[in-house]
Parts: sequence; structure tokens; C-alpha cells
Amino acid sequence: MYSNLVITAIYLALMFGAGIFFSRNIKNTSDYFLAGRSAPWFWIMGAVWATNIGFLHGYLAHGGAAYEWGLIQANFEWFQGPFGYILTGLFFIAFYWRAGIYTVPQFLERRYGNGIRTIYTLAWIFIFLVTIAAELYLGGMFLKNILHIPFWPTVFVLTAVVGSYMLLGGLGAAIMMEFVQFVIMMLGTMPLLFILLKMVGGFKGITSTLIGQWGVSAQYFSVLPDIHHPYGPGPWIVLGQCLVVTIGWCAGHQSMVQRNLGARSLYDAKLGYVAASIPKTLGAFLYIVPMVAAPIVFSQMGIFVEKSDAAYGKLILNILPQGMIGLFIAGLLSAGLSSIGSVLNSASTMIVKDIYERFFVKGKSDHHYFVAGRVATLSVIVVSLLLVPVVLKVYLIMWLEQLLLAMVLGPFMAVLALAIFWPRANTPGSLAGFLTGGAFAIVLQQVFGVNIFFQISWWSFVVSLAVTVAVSLLTPPPKKEKIEGITWQSNFEAMVGEVIEDRALSTAVRATGIKAKTIVLPPWYLNIKYWATAILAVQIALLLFFG
Amino acid sequence: MSRRPAFLLAVLVLAGAVAAQERFIDVRQAMADALTAAKTAAAKSDWAAAGSSVEAARTIWARDVKPLIVEGVKTNSDFREYADRIGEVEADLEAASSAAAAQDAAGLAAKINAAIWGISHHPRGFDVPPPRYSTWDWVFGLSIGIGFCVFAIWFGLYLRRSYYSRYPKAVFVRKRK
Repeated sequence: MYSNLVITAIYLALMFGAGIFFSRNIKNTSDYFLAGRSAPWFWIMGAVWATNIGFLHGYLAHGGAAYEWGLIQANFEWFQGPFGYILTGLFFIAFYWRAGIYTVPQFLERRYGNGIRTIYTLAWIFIFLVTIAAELYLGGMFLKNILHIPFWPTVFVLTAVVGSYMLLGGLGAAIMMEFVQFVIMMLGTMPLLFILLKMVGGFKGITSTLIGQWGVSAQYFSVLPDIHHPYGPGPWIVLGQCLVVTIGWCAGHQSMVQRNLGARSLYDAKLGYVAASIPKTLGAFLYIVPMVAAPIVFSQMGIFVEKSDAAYGKLILNILPQGMIGLFIAGLLSAGLSSIGSVLNSASTMIVKDIYERFFVKGKSDHHYFVAGRVATLSVIVVSLLLVPVVLKVYLIMWLEQLLLAMVLGPFMAVLALAIFWPRANTPGSLAGFLTGGAFAIVLQQVFGVNIFFQISWWSFVVSLAVTVAVSLLTPPPKKEKIEGITWQSNFEAMVGEVIEDRALSTAVRATGIKAKTIVLPPWYLNIKYWATAILAVQIALLLFFG
Repeated sequence: MSRRPAFLLAVLVLAGAVAAQERFIDVRQAMADALTAAKTAAAKSDWAAAGSSVEAARTIWARDVKPLIVEGVKTNSDFREYADRIGEVEADLEAASSAAAAQDAAGLAAKINAAIWGISHHPRGFDVPPPRYSTWDWVFGLSIGIGFCVFAIWFGLYLRRSYYSRYPKAVFVRKRK
């Protein structure tokens, strides 16, 4: 017990020290918000995954859902997640990069104007605040249950550790810390899988016990179940989750995108995102597969599980040896801290760039906005801490976050896809489409009682797409100079040259220039197309095996 | 009813339900702790302590846990799984009591484990009906699958064609040393 506490304390102290160390060279807004655009692809890979996976959208909540519903939860890791990462890496990141932006709402403004930027910003800031509060709540409860230490001091210590390096170091410190945390997460939490599989006789042992002896439904082991499944009907996973929510999440979530905007070149940004789908795929072995085996262990060892959210903590507490629990906690805390840190950084970036600089104080020096970024970070920390008791007592807020995500991601995906691939889409069309799609999501849930998140997202996407197209066709097209360089049809030859130069520098080869129609290839093992193809092949194999 | 009182009522009802669920967790945890204590005592051959811990667990079951389940299932479907297992849990507790009296450590541990699992939350995914595919499901599923592939191929080709119509295909060369 004390050894676990000591290991956890040492880990938190090291994270604090490393965070301060990485913060020492942060001097302006570009450093603070975009890490000075200096991160190589493997840092991006680690940071994107560590951002994505935390207590909430990873170990504790996804692990709990895997215990409750089975292998279907792996569709996030084996199907739609990597699909979204790859598509975003291959198509969307380049447009953000060329637009020279700090935030996703900035891109929407460049393409569509002010209105949609403000709505999108406010929705995401609220989602971020709730997310940080929920992460702190889950982390505090987890440590309370495992180490038997008081809840509130734990929450304050977690906040102090992550807040300190985010406040001082911004995205630069965050990306470096996230890469370190990515490694600790992988090494610290992977042993659970092997110990557990040995206990239950491998994956075959799990299926033969649960299906053969207990008579459990075969759908507990299906990644894409039938359409009647109460939690995740297969076709709706493909339509709503894979095509809309996941791509919307990967391309529209400021924290995810911001890591890529901090890359040293477009090539690094793209490869970083595509490569992040590898740890994403492995994530299922860290917190999904163990939870599918957990019922067998709980019943054999007489471990009481009060609810699915508590299952992951109970498992590690009862399965792992004492010293290893401490290392595991370090891995798990890495997941939580990296997610909290990234969302904290993104929320402050949006507050400064999308709200403060636009509506309150314009045209000040770079140093002014740099300081404002730190004040915004501190403010987000304080507001999130104030929200923790609300999350603790009123579960309604989590429901509100889910509804907001469904309202935002479907319409966002529609207007983003049209922004890039349909030059005729214009400001009135996008605004009407975004608002109608969001309103339709509320109507679907409140009036028609649709509770499957994927269905809501899909239909809000479809409605938003239709309304944007219709209204755009009925109103004047956007001016050509306004959309130049940020649609697929743009002439971005000059930018391509710049990109190639970036890539050439980053891979230590010399570009001979676009005009001579020659492009220098990176080494074959760093070719994005090969990576994407190999990863998609692995996804297809996993789906064929578990689908 | 206007929207605000309806909302407040919904929050109050939700808060009441949450409080009831917290109590239900606490009493089951107390019962599980007593049963685990019995198992630990039996492993040390302290049969008197093992027997009294099993009896303590049975008391908690009869006094706190079972009444909450019986009452809860009338208004909340979350209690259904526990109501369905009342008979099993009682049989396991009875068998655990007998095993403690007979000083059978292995039998006691097995029955205690079964009783604790009986009062634990079981995955809802266990009870999902086996896959069912009607003709309509096949049509719907295949339409989505095939439609998705056709769209992906068409869109990919469109992107490729539109790109190379603007920029002739580049000649790739290896790095010159």
C-alpha cells in the first residue's frame, strides 16, 4: 500500500519537474500555443494519442463500457479511430496547415465568416470545461479507491501538477510531456493484459468460459454487432460513428488538431496523425480486452463490483502485485494528466484567439497575448475545479456534454467537408446548416427519444449537409479570393513547394523543387501512404476476426 | 407544467435516485467485506471468526440488501438483475454457512465467491439476444457497406483526377549524394 503511494508521489514529482524543465524556452504566443512549430512526427504521434486517451475517453470510462457491453467498445480502437486518424491526417490537416491558423474555429472563420466561429468556439469551451472537471473527478475517485487517500487533496495535487507546466510551458511543454506520458502509459499498463490472459487461459479461454460455460451472448464478442443491439448497432457505428463523429472528433477537436499545428512541417503533422493510429489500435489491448476477461476473474476470486465504471480499478487492485500497482497508477495518471493538459491548453488557446483577441483587446503586442494565454489557462483551471463538485453530484452535466457533442460534431463534419470539397458552400449556407443540424439533434433526442449517440450524429450531419447545400445554392457564391488556398480546388502550387521543402529538411534530403516536376522521396519507411495502407490492412484483419 | 418546475422536479428525482443507488452500493460493499473476512479467517483456520463473518453477511443481506432489491425493482429496472439472482445468493449464503460449520475451506471460498458475484453488477452485454438478421437488415447493412465502398472509390478517384488535372504527375527521384 505504502509502496504504491510512494511510487505515485515520485511519479507526480518527476512529472512536475519535467514539466517545469520543458517550459524554460517558451517566449511568445507561437511557442505557447503552437510549440514554436517544432515538433517532429513521433512526438506528434505520442501527443495525439495521449491527448485522445485519458480517464474519460480511455481507461476508466471506456474500460467500464467494455465490461458492460463487451468487445463492441473496441470499435473505437480497431475501426473508426484509426480510420478517422488516417483520413484526417491525409486530407484535413493539410488545409488547416495551409490556412496558417491556431484554432479550428479560425479555419471556419476564414472559410465562412464570424458567426459560425463564435458558435463553435463557445460550444467547445463548454465541452472542454466539463471534460477537465470529469477527468479530475475520475482521477480523484480512482486514486481514492486504490490508494485510500482523500478525494479533494488528490484533485488539487493533480491540478497543481498539470496546471504548473501548462501554465508555464503551453503546447511546447504539453507535447513533450505527452510523449513521455505516452511511453509510461504503454509500459505501465500493458502488463495487466499478459497477467490477465495467463489467468484466464488466453482469448480462447475467455470465449470458452463466457460463451461455452456461462451462455453469454456471442454479441459480447462482436466489434460490429447486429442492428438490434441496444448499445451500438453495427450499421449506425459505420454511418454515425465512423463517418461523422470520429472524423469530426479528429478534425474538429481543438486539442487533437493543435498538436499537429505544432509540428515542424506538414509532413510531420500528417505522418504524426497517421502513425498515432498504431497506439490507438494497441489501446484496445490496454483497457478493452482486459475488461472483457474481467467478469471471469471477478467471479473466480470473489471480487465485488458495484458498477461498471469501478471495474477497471477493482481489477488492477486485485490482480497486480503491490509494486506493480504503483507503476500502473503512474501509467494511468499519465493518461489522465496528458488529456487534462491538452484540453487545458486548447481551451486557453480558444479563449485568447477566438474570444479575447477578437472581441475584447485587439491589436496588442505578442507579449500581451502570451500573458493573456497564461491568465486564460489559470482561469480554466479554476473554473474546472469549481465544476468538479457539480460533476460529482449532478450526472446531468455528462449527459449535456454528450448532447453537445452530438449537436456539434454532425453539423461540423457537414460544413467542414463542404468547406474543403465544395467551393460553392457559402456563409449563409453554413450558418443555416450548422444551426439546423444542431437543433435537429436536440429534436431527435428530446422529441423522438433517440438515445443512440451515433444515430443522432448521423441524422444531424445529413440535415446539416442538405440545408447547407440548399441555402448556399439559393444565395450568392463566396468570393474567389476568400476561398483561395483553403479548398481542394485551390491552386496551392506555391504552398506545395514550401511543404516539400519542409519535408526535405525534416528527412535530411534535398528538394529539387516542384517546378522541375521532381519531388524528393522520404525514406520508404517514412512514406505516409505505406503507413496508412498497412494500418488499414490491420484494421480489416481485426474486423474480419472480431466483426 | 412550465419547463422550469419540470426541470427542477427531474433534477430532484434524479438526485433521489442517485442517493438510493449510493446506499445500495454501500450495503452490498459491507456484505462483500464480511464475506471476504470469512474467507480470510477460514484460510487461517479461525473457524469461529469465519462462521460469525458469514452470519454477519447473512444479516446484512436480510436486513439491508434484499429489502432494497425487492423495493427497488418495483420502480427501477436497474434492480432487475439482482432480483433475478435473489434465490441463487440465498442458496450460496446457506451453503457458505454449512461449509463454515463443516470447516470446509475450499467449499466455503467457492460459495463466498459465488455469493459476492451474485450481488455484483453483471455486464448488460451478457443478455443481448443472439444476432438476428432479417431480410431488411441484410438490405440495409449491405447497402451501407457497398454504398460506402462505392462512394470511397468514386471520391478517391475524383480527388486524384482533379488533383492531377491541375498538377501533372511529378517525377520522383532518390536523394543524390
